[in-house]
Amino acid sequence: MDVTMTVNGRELTASVPPETTLLKLLREDWDLTGAKLGCDVGDCGACTVLVDGTAVNACLMLAGQADGRQITTIEGLADLDAFHPLQKTFEDLAALQCGFCGPGIILAAKYLLDNNPNPTTAEIRDGLAGNLCRCTGYTKIIEAVADTAKELAAQSAA
Amino acid sequence: MKPFEFIKAASTEEAVAALAEHGPGIRILAGGTDLLVDLKHAGQSPGVVMDVSGIDDLGAISVDDDGLHIGAGATHTAIMTDPLIAEHAPAMIDAAHTVGAVQTRNLGTIGGNLVTCVPSMDSGPVLVALEADVILAGASGIRRLALTEFFVGPRKTILAAGEMLVDIVIPKANLGKPAGFIKFGLRKGQALALVNAASAAWIEDGKFAAPRIALGAVAPVVIRCEAAEAALDGQPVSDAVIAEAAKIAAGEAKPIDDFRASKSYRLDLIEVGVRRTLAAAAGLKGE
Ligand SMILES: Cc1cc2nc3c(=O)[nH]c(=O)nc-3n(C[C@H](O)[C@H](O)[C@H](O)COP(=O)(O)OP(=O)(O)OC[C@H]3O[C@@H](n4cnc5c(N)ncnc54)[C@H](O)[C@@H]3O)c2cc1C
Ligand code: FES
Ligand code: FES
Repeated sequence: MDVTMTVNGRELTASVPPETTLLKLLREDWDLTGAKLGCDVGDCGACTVLVDGTAVNACLMLAGQADGRQITTIEGLADLDAFHPLQKTFEDLAALQCGFCGPGIILAAKYLLDNNPNPTTAEIRDGLAGNLCRCTGYTKIIEAVADTAKELAAQSAA
Repeated sequence: MKPFEFIKAASTEEAVAALAEHGPGIRILAGGTDLLVDLKHAGQSPGVVMDVSGIDDLGAISVDDDGLHIGAGATHTAIMTDPLIAEHAPAMIDAAHTVGAVQTRNLGTIGGNLVTCVPSMDSGPVLVALEADVILAGASGIRRLALTEFFVGPRKTILAAGEMLVDIVIPKANLGKPAGFIKFGLRKGQALALVNAASAAWIEDGKFAAPRIALGAVAPVVIRCEAAEAALDGQPVSDAVIAEAAKIAAGEAKPIDDFRASKSYRLDLIEVGVRRTLAAAAGLKGE
């Protein structure tokens, strides 16, 4: 089947078998390998992307379901000049280690902050409950999200 | 996944017609959070997969003379953020919030949850405690039945060939009925219930009236604890009365031993869960 969607602001098309997941389409047809294949069943969040601004597991969505929609992957967050504030804070705090969970965590965090600009620690934990990290113990990840929220608030007040 | 044909239904009528046309060789996809996991493990092609998530009114939430209607296609996230749910059945928000994690709730629907019909489903207990009905549509028309009749066994519902779930209705008489929900899992997010529980009751002159208690993950399907309800009905609200009802409810459940929890631990959880949800419904602070 043919699918067309806007990925990180660019319109892309592909012809794929109907049983192709959005994750496979992004990684294998469009070389967008930021979203990772971890568990392939919705448990780990490594494949998290935004579809029409909403965080979903790309391993649990068919390419056909994403047809005609707006997709944001980690590749769409930074531009050549600058990191997204979340990426910057994660770097400053060294919040990630191996980084495998990072694209999913940062997009889940973006979805959280887009909907709740001033989350409590409990709300951050809840927003990231679907993202497993096997390296860090989460402490700095949670701090990085909280710091980004403060930073974004300061930016919008300025 | 084995190869299949993918189609999208634009309306419930179109979906019902496709179900009739393809017979057993078609599967409905709503959020896909159960179906895709199934298909990844299945040895056989499902034939046709029909996406119903584009049917707008299938996800509608509204109130009329009948009661509160929750479309089968409403996602858990939609339920958590809907003002009508908050006004008329806020315990549903607590239940929806415990499903998986945010990514799962953004895709997963209440209809998919009920149709998958695992004993630990988190949408079941509150709806059973509020005596919800379900509305099914098929080629021969519409039928309405109690949710408790819809559940037949683990992963088995009363849906006949060619039928789909379209609507869930909380009857008008139960709108605003005080209710509580609790889920016990091995962790807070992304964990199936070891036990989940919901209670609903009116409090009249300080006494329980029409109490309803529902439990999940403790029997082949979500159950109502009718003996505990009968013992509670008309009794003055007190911790002692609540504790007694919780003991009776535990006696009505048949939890199993498995790798996640022992039967005796689950029996303890049932008592605690019933006590806490009854206390919440009665407006007590609880333990
Ligand atoms: C990581 C993860 C965590 C999860 N955690 C939980 C949890 O904590 N609690 C919980 O209860 N569940 C949990 N689930 C299960 C699942 O997310 C829910 O059951 C969800 O509500 C299913 O809805 P869906 O729209 O995704 O269903 P789908 O996968 O689209 O469909 C499920 C089944 O129902 C059928 N179906 C769907 N809609 C209809 C309809 N309208 N009429 C007839 N048949 C229909 C489909 O054909 C399929 O057989 C989890 C799943 C995952 C992947
Ligand atoms: S790969 Fe999708 S959730 Fe793990
Ligand atoms: S940094 Fe390695 S999995 Fe999170």
